[in-house]
Amino acid sequence: MSGTADAGKQPGHSSRFGRRGFLTSAAVGGATIVGASALGALDADAAFAAPSRSLDPAVTQTTFVEGRIGAIRGSMLHVAGSLGETHRIQVTNATSLWKVRTTTLDAVEVGDGLYARGVEMPDGSIAADAVWVNIVNLYTTIQGIQKDRLHLAHHNRELVAHTVPETAASYAGSALTPDLSRLRIGQPAQVLGAWRPADDSIDVVRVTVGH
Amino acid sequence: MACSTNALWAGETTWFCCGAAWGPCGSAGGGACGNCRSSAYHGAWPNASQACWDITRPDLCGEGGIARRGCGSVMNVRHQCSGATVCISIADCGPRTKSFCGEALCCGGTCRTNRVLDLTPAAFSAIGSLSSGMLPVVITE
Repeated sequence: MSGTADAGKQPGHSSRFGRRGFLTSAAVGGATIVGASALGALDADAAFAAPSRSLDPAVTQTTFVEGRIGAIRGSMLHVAGSLGETHRIQVTNATSLWKVRTTTLDAVEVGDGLYARGVEMPDGSIAADAVWVNIVNLYTTIQGIQKDRLHLAHHNRELVAHTVPETAASYAGSALTPDLSRLRIGQPAQVLGAWRPADDSIDVVRVTVGH
Repeated sequence: MACSTNALWAGETTWFCCGAAWGPCGSAGGGACGNCRSSAYHGAWPNASQACWDITRPDLCGEGGIARRGCGSVMNVRHQCSGATVCISIADCGPRTKSFCGEALCCGGTCRTNRVLDLTPAAFSAIGSLSSGMLPVVITE
């Protein structure tokens, strides 16, 4: 089943608060951090995997940023938000980075899009807990199938979706499989992947289809 | 209006983008309510209107009792496994439940079936990782 590994995370209060405090001190003290893994798994779910207060929707509990990277200076990402705002995102050794797969800052490029969550620092920068680079999760229709790519329709646009080593499919709620042979033209498909800014195509990580 | 704890529904949530955005999301627009933004704590509900229901058809997956909740309705969404919560307001119609009947996510011995909610990246990432794509949730209002 899609997402079962993620669904199985258990609450970890001590690691959560330790991680957030760690992120703050990491950002204040600089991005060179030794022994980050001593706090436990550095995955995006761990940081906020605990009950939190329910507030009015206008009140933000965590800081969230989206936009495109305009510059990378050291471990600071300078981001232009889609609504015209700007952000500075501090990546630390404790930051979970995703770009097709879990990765490092070396894989991140100017022009990439991102979503990030983290803790706002006194200087206005964001100490990132997790950064998802170019990630998309699109409702599409399969229009063509080739060995190394899918042709999808998304919002009445054609979208080329390249397969990568991680590409897997889920059929009607079944477990993920690398076998894409049961995909059919005309099927609605939910596609999780990573956008390629250079040619406006995507890399497919997971394609989910129904009956 | 604040979120509350009255049971509304339980199932799976996915995530989607809306409003001004980069990449393929640039064509998404403001959603059925016109004000949806990826960076806001917004969600899409399969019974935001009759026209919406006619598209999503959760009843075809056995989720026929989902109540009508229109634009601006407020809901609390709790990750079934971790307990992490986020308070959202409805800003779009979705997800297309009927296209994915029978999906299930389980943890702690309890499974949640069928996608009954879509969250913006901001809302989804407040309770889980975007790379998971889908989470089991309990929804209250």
